Amino acid sequence: MPRALSITTHNASLGEAPLTPEWHSRTVASETAAHKMSFTAVPTASNSYQLNDSNEVQPLHSLPPPFTTTSSPGQTSSTKLIRQGAEALLYYTHFLSPSLPCALKYRPPKSYRHPILDKRLTRARILAEARVLVRCKREGVSVPAVLGAGWEEGWIAIEWVNGSTVRDAIFGRKTWRQENQASYEGGEKDLVGLMHKIGCAVGKLHQVGVIHGDLTTSNLMLRPTVSGAEGGEEPSATSAATPFDGTITLIDFGLAAQSSQEEDRAVDLYVLERAFGSTHPEVEHLFPEVLKAYGESYKGAKVVLRKLEDVRMRGRKKSMIG
Amino acid sequence: MEELVTLTLPHLPLHPLFLSLFTNLENASFLRQQLLDGNQEFEYAFLDARMLLSENHVLAACFRALNDWQRGRLRSRNVHSEIVFSLSPNNNIAESFRRFGISDTTTDLLAIKVSTSSEFTAESVRTHLSQHVQADSVLFSDEAIRRGADLARIRKVYKAGGDGGKVNGAAGTGGGAALDGVEGFILGTMALKGS
Amino acid sequence: MPIAIGLEGSANKLGVGVIHHAAYPHSSHRSRQDSPLSSSPPPPLKASDGDASLTWPPVRILANLRHTYVSPPGSGFLPKDTAAHHRRWVVRLVKQAMKQADVRIEDIDCVCFTKGPGMGAPLGAVAIAARMLSLLWNKPLVGVNHCVGHIEMGRSITGAENPVVLYVSGGNTQIIAYSAQRYRIFGEALDIAVGNCLDRFARVLNISNDPAPGYNIEQMAKKGNILVELPYAVKGMDVSFSGILARIEELAHRLESSAQGQSEPWKDEDTGEVITREDLCFTLQETVFAMLVEITERAMAHVGAKQVLIVGGVGCNMRLQEMMGMMAAERGGSVYATDERFCIDNGIMIAHAGLLAWGMGFKTGLDESGCTQRFRTDEVWINWRD
Repeated sequence: MPRALSITTHNASLGEAPLTPEWHSRTVASETAAHKMSFTAVPTASNSYQLNDSNEVQPLHSLPPPFTTTSSPGQTSSTKLIRQGAEALLYYTHFLSPSLPCALKYRPPKSYRHPILDKRLTRARILAEARVLVRCKREGVSVPAVLGAGWEEGWIAIEWVNGSTVRDAIFGRKTWRQENQASYEGGEKDLVGLMHKIGCAVGKLHQVGVIHGDLTTSNLMLRPTVSGAEGGEEPSATSAATPFDGTITLIDFGLAAQSSQEEDRAVDLYVLERAFGSTHPEVEHLFPEVLKAYGESYKGAKVVLRKLEDVRMRGRKKSMIG
Repeated sequence: MEELVTLTLPHLPLHPLFLSLFTNLENASFLRQQLLDGNQEFEYAFLDARMLLSENHVLAACFRALNDWQRGRLRSRNVHSEIVFSLSPNNNIAESFRRFGISDTTTDLLAIKVSTSSEFTAESVRTHLSQHVQADSVLFSDEAIRRGADLARIRKVYKAGGDGGKVNGAAGTGGGAALDGVEGFILGTMALKGS
Repeated sequence: MPIAIGLEGSANKLGVGVIHHAAYPHSSHRSRQDSPLSSSPPPPLKASDGDASLTWPPVRILANLRHTYVSPPGSGFLPKDTAAHHRRWVVRLVKQAMKQADVRIEDIDCVCFTKGPGMGAPLGAVAIAARMLSLLWNKPLVGVNHCVGHIEMGRSITGAENPVVLYVSGGNTQIIAYSAQRYRIFGEALDIAVGNCLDRFARVLNISNDPAPGYNIEQMAKKGNILVELPYAVKGMDVSFSGILARIEELAHRLESSAQGQSEPWKDEDTGEVITREDLCFTLQETVFAMLVEITERAMAHVGAKQVLIVGGVGCNMRLQEMMGMMAAERGGSVYATDERFCIDNGIMIAHAGLLAWGMGFKTGLDESGCTQRFRTDEVWINWRD
């Protein structure tokens, strides 16, 4: 594909310029008008959420040491790929002991980046995520614990959170309602309770100066509460189990940052609002309950709610010139 | 009869750990002196068990030390001293020994031996320890460690809040070890050390 | 046989293009009732006829002319001077385009022009010409969004069916994906466009603006190999370049002062080699392009796309295309790009997008034909797609 550049230039003095403009375009039969660079399709895992047992997909990159050994005599744990995102690979494995399940997040090197830049970024991002999680833990925000981190190699081992995502719980509610039609008469009370819990959890997070950066219902877990433990919820009057029992635990802090800016907090809420709108339109009308609980969760929260109105109106940030 | 537990860390199958827990230790000074002298027969991690919160706490330090050893980035003399060092939230080696290592007044001792070669077996370690450690043997377990933990001192060293209110995280995972707030925070602190 | 003339002048490139779309089988062309050609069926397209693209409708590019206003090194182009340039050249270009296209005024169905976004004065200058032609020739006006022009031309030329689009130029940096008759902006530059960052950096080092500062930076970067540390600003799906620009300008000044002997020669800490202008060009490209590829990858993952289409002037850069290709390959996807005729601002894309809109019955009344400097890509109703 010829890349001839035959451009005549015109200088700023606006004096007489040659009359031949560039780019005579012939009827383009004689030239290919475009080039498509299709690179050999390299087999990679699609962004599948679930690992298909009969059709195990392997990512391009293998885990770094010490995770490279998959099994050996006496090893009871096996490492499974759970999800392959744009940034990182998520594995299920065990850490420290066969009875401690963990989420192993690995950021593989990106071939398109300069190696120095790549290493620098990977290191910074692993550390940022670990630091944010540890800070949250220190301040009592419900997040999984960091078990270990290899920032030079690009991995972080995080406590595995049992329970379901809020996303799945909401999807599953329909079935649950059908099955429990007779016994449950709370109307939408269970959902409202859920919204309040979410608002409080996000409020607590913001209060300690952390922005999640990717608040969706897939990143909110409902962790079953052990009765009597601190942090559990008060038993409800009816003590009927609902799909939304448990403590809200925030996960996936890959895009999190430390910030106390109202704007950042408002954007965090806005992302969650939009997530509800696109994934759970049928419960979207209850989202104001999230904001209500958020507004009451810490001093300064109400200012953030006002800021949220601005963020909504702006839609996607500012327009560009030109 | 000495109680000795062999544990293998997931992902580090080639180097099992031999752990022996003791109480009513009588010859702390002697053992400490062997370490100071660099006596090669006494390559152990000797830990003050009262500064240990849980089994996970111990194992996390072991993982960090072993992994750093494998990656060629030990900060201290050997993998055993590195276990002691890994417990510390900061990078001061001497301080980590003062806080977590054996002192002349240590009464509860956790001795850890990393199997660095085939020369060391559970049997050989058990024999050696029974010969040289004058103390009562206790079976190493999470429950035994927790029983003997000095929570106030541990919290202080890790700056983990004294009131018990702040560091409470989510409740148990309902399946194996429950990582409550303090423990989770400590593991995270150890993971970040040196960053 | 719809034919349109398109005029583009939102920045320093003045473009005039004439395009022909093969007839639509099921559309209604109310305004074509006047055309004497509407009664006869379109001639069948022969294999050698023009550029039958893979997407509907097949297009023929009858003329695609451009003239660029190049400012001297060390300076950027000012709106006033740019507008003057456009006024000076537009009539000439229109005449030449019509001659080359070999069409009569009667054959033209509509006069398309860039409504925005862009620089006010240059946009206005070209809009005046378009209005004039519309009145003179008695043809409807169609105002076109500049970004939509790039996207539609890119799709048509490359045949990419539903790609994530990276639109990068001196004035724009956006990640776009099509959904429900809108080109939705998934991510963008929060402050200045990547091309703007490159152009302003070029000024500090007095790199020539001929043929374009970005092109010269690209050539120099090929000779650089030291990566100096620059900030890296990706925030979710968005990027930010002003911090990087500030830093690289600082570094450029430092380089110049050491070159002039005012300070110690600046050496790389690791290799001990002296850092050159080429190294700075290399560093800037590697950093900003990595950022662009990253947000493109995030968008691809988010929507599950396998194709990437790069449009806009910065899209000509081979290093960017190469990096994008590596990322896409790892995902089993592919990258589409066009050459300078279509990446760089041109009139044909305006004619093309305009004709697509016109085909659905769209036109711009004279009283609505003002230009807008801010015209978001997602404001346009893409009703020619499902």
